[in-house]
Parts: sequence; structure tokens; C-alpha cells
Amino acid sequence: MKLLSWKRALPPKVTRAVTFEDLALPLGSSLYNIAHWLTRNPAEAEDLVQETYLKALRGFTAFEPGTNFKAWIFRILRNTYLTSRSGLAAMRTVALEDELSDENGVQRYPEGAIDRQTPENNLIVLCDRAALENAMQQLPAPLLEVVLLCDVEEMKYKEIAAVIDVPIGTVMSRIARARAAMRRTLESHTSYPNQSRMSPESRA
Amino acid sequence: MTDHLTLATLSALADGELSAEQLAAAQQHLSGCNACTSSALYQSLMKSATARAGQRYSVSPQLAGRLARYTSDASGSSGLPQSAGQSILSTRMPRTALYGWTAAAAVLIVFLGSMVIMRHQQQTAIVAAQQATLTAEITDRHITTLASSQPLDVLSSDRHTVKPWFQGKLPFSFNLPENLPPDVHLDGANLTYLRNQPAAQLLYSIGKHRVSVFLEQKSNASSPANSSATLSGFHLIETETDDLQLEAISDVDPARLSELVGLIQHVQANTPVQVR
Repeated sequence: MKLLSWKRALPPKVTRAVTFEDLALPLGSSLYNIAHWLTRNPAEAEDLVQETYLKALRGFTAFEPGTNFKAWIFRILRNTYLTSRSGLAAMRTVALEDELSDENGVQRYPEGAIDRQTPENNLIVLCDRAALENAMQQLPAPLLEVVLLCDVEEMKYKEIAAVIDVPIGTVMSRIARARAAMRRTLESHTSYPNQSRMSPESRA
Repeated sequence: MTDHLTLATLSALADGELSAEQLAAAQQHLSGCNACTSSALYQSLMKSATARAGQRYSVSPQLAGRLARYTSDASGSSGLPQSAGQSILSTRMPRTALYGWTAAAAVLIVFLGSMVIMRHQQQTAIVAAQQATLTAEITDRHITTLASSQPLDVLSSDRHTVKPWFQGKLPFSFNLPENLPPDVHLDGANLTYLRNQPAAQLLYSIGKHRVSVFLEQKSNASSPANSSATLSGFHLIETETDDLQLEAISDVDPARLSELVGLIQHVQANTPVQVR
């Protein structure tokens, strides 16, 4: 069967090469947010983001189109942070135990800790943004970065593993440890009023 | 119920990272375990709360503008990220590096400024020392001439005798004023040396006062033009023409001395230097 010419003639597909601007510019806010969390300093964060863009620009020719640009540029950001003064200090002072190990290779959540707070209390605590930010700030950099990449940037474990260059199991372990640490911080934050209420002075 | 879900499993459940088999096993466990259900709920709540709290910092308009400019430059450079990267560097360096360069530049500026000031002070001191030496030398020459019992090298009041006497003795020539004030007389001249250079010492009389006028070829080491000084009661005037350096010394009134110097300086205008 011979197709009519007007049916065969498909409109020319307008294809435009994806530029660095198309890929990188939308990620500026996310990169800065992560950079500020990690460096805890706005000026350093700006420097970090800027240097990240610079390195990404230089290496953009090596970037394979179609692959995960977000993971690629976040990895550059992280590597740049690691070589910065604050990054070196943060990573040097933390002894990571990526293996939540017991005889089965993973650590069980302490059963008694699960019900220490009621669901209502948990909800109230988690709605306290200041307390939550404080709990995040208490996290060491290796745990904070995975939480940020997972929860804030909504990256999959596989992407996080590519960004921080560790196995997926380590990512799972770190995220679990980070959330457990945050929970402990939040519970210590909320236990103080209860303890005060139970103290002899308050009862008197 | 002893095999509770692990921390990693609970986190992975909240993150949607469990495989189908793992998810089915977890759901089966949760259906019969209140503790793990509570924990799973907590993990989900924490994840969403962390997502909200984590969006804490927003990029400043300045940085956003810079990033937009960089990226547009990079895209406009048609696949030449290196040049775009250089433009970033040239536009703004990291702040810590900027601080270092600023401090280095400040130190360099202070150092160069100190060097310039020191050099200027050294040059000023050298010029002052040379001036003091010349003043002392001229004064000594003048006093020696006055005290000497020897006659002058050329003893004449005729300028047409004095001037030609220096032919072949000086690497330059000069003019002598013809019309002098009534009480001013040319007594003669000596061949002398100033600053290791040959010079003409003209002797004039203004009334009873004797005047020495030294004419020498101008050099780079010459004294500043049009200066005057007083040393041991003698007045010293230094001036210059286009080619000659002129120093006059006497104990006469400075105004009369200046008048004579002005006359001699005036007649030099049409006399180019004659190097033998």
C-alpha cells in the first residue's frame, strides 16, 4: 500500500541538544540547600555551589547524555565538599559504622524504643520544625547527606549510592541510622517536660 | 512475634525501596505487629517532616543570577565549557581564595608603597647631600679665591678678553653681559672644577663686594634650578639656562646678586653649547 504524501510527511521533529543550562540551572536551589546544610555557612555554601558549577562545566563534555545528571552534579558537589576545609574536618571527626551488624548482619530496632512515645506525641514532635531542624543539625555529615538526598531530594537508594560512591546496603544502613539518631534527639528534646513534670520539685 | 522488622527495612519501607517480595513480607508482619506498625508510621511521618524541614535554605538572588549567567554563557559557547569555566573564574573566585588574594595584594601594595617611599626618601637624601656638598665646595672656592695671593688666571675687565681665554679649556662656551650696572665690574676669571667637571669662575665686584659666578655644563646631577641658600654669611644662588648650570656666591645684598645673575643668565640665551 502506498501512503499518501500528506500522511507520510510527518512534521519535522524539533530536536534541540540539551545544554548545560537546561540541566544545571533548575538544580541550583537544591544544590545550594544541600551545600548550606553541609557547610553550615552561607558564604561557604555559595562558594561550594559555584565551584560545583565550575567543575561541572569543565567536565560536561564527559557527561553522557541520557544518564542521571542530577546524581552526577550532586556527586561533584559532594566531592568538592569533601575536599573543602569544612568537609575534611566534618568527615575526619566522624567514625562511621556503616554496618548495623549483629549476627544477621543488621541491627534490630530496640523493641522498647518503639513505644516510648505515643503516636500523638510523635506527630506533635515531628510537627515541631525547629526541633526537627535541630535534630538534623546534630547528625554527622555522612548521615546528614543521605537523609537530605533521600528525603529532601527524593533520590532513590541507587542514585544516592552513585552520588556518595558507596554500596546500596551502606546507603540503607546510613539512612536507618540517621533516622534513629534523629529520633533519639527528638525524644530527648520532648522527654525534658515529662521529666520536669515528674520531678519532686514540680510535684511539691 | 520476635522477628521485628529491621531499622533498614522500616526505612526502606518508608522510602519505597523494598522489592515486591520484601514488601509483601513486611506487610504480612505489620498486620500482626503493633510495634513495627507504629515504627513504620513514625518512619513515614519522619520522612515527610524531614522533607519539609530540609528545604531550609534558599539560594540568594545574587547567586541565582550568577549561576544563570554562567550556565547561559556555557550554553552560548556551543559546547566549550572550558571557556565558560574560565569566565566563571574571571567573574568571581571562591570567597576564601578571594580573601587570600586580597591579603596578598594588600601586602604587595604595602611593600611596593614602602619601596617607593624609601626610594624617594633615599633620592631626596642623596640630592640634599649633593646640594650640601656643592654649596660647601662653591663657598670654599670663593673664599680660597678671595684669600689667594695669586692673581686670577685671566685678569681683565674686558669680556672680549675673558671669554676667549677659555677657548680650548672648557667643553662649552658662554656669553658675558656687556652692559653692567655702574658699580658692577668684571675682575677676571679662573678655570676651576666643580663636581669633577671643568667650570668657569667669573669674578665680579659689586661695590666693595666680590662675587664669584660659576658656569658649568648642565648634567643630570645638577642641582635643582632656581634655588638659593645662605652659608656662613654668603648668599648662594643657583639657576640654569638651557645648557648651562650657573651658581653665584657673594656676601653682597641678595637682590644685587640676583640682578647680576639675571644679566648673565639672560645673555646665555643665544649661546648654544660648543663641545670641542
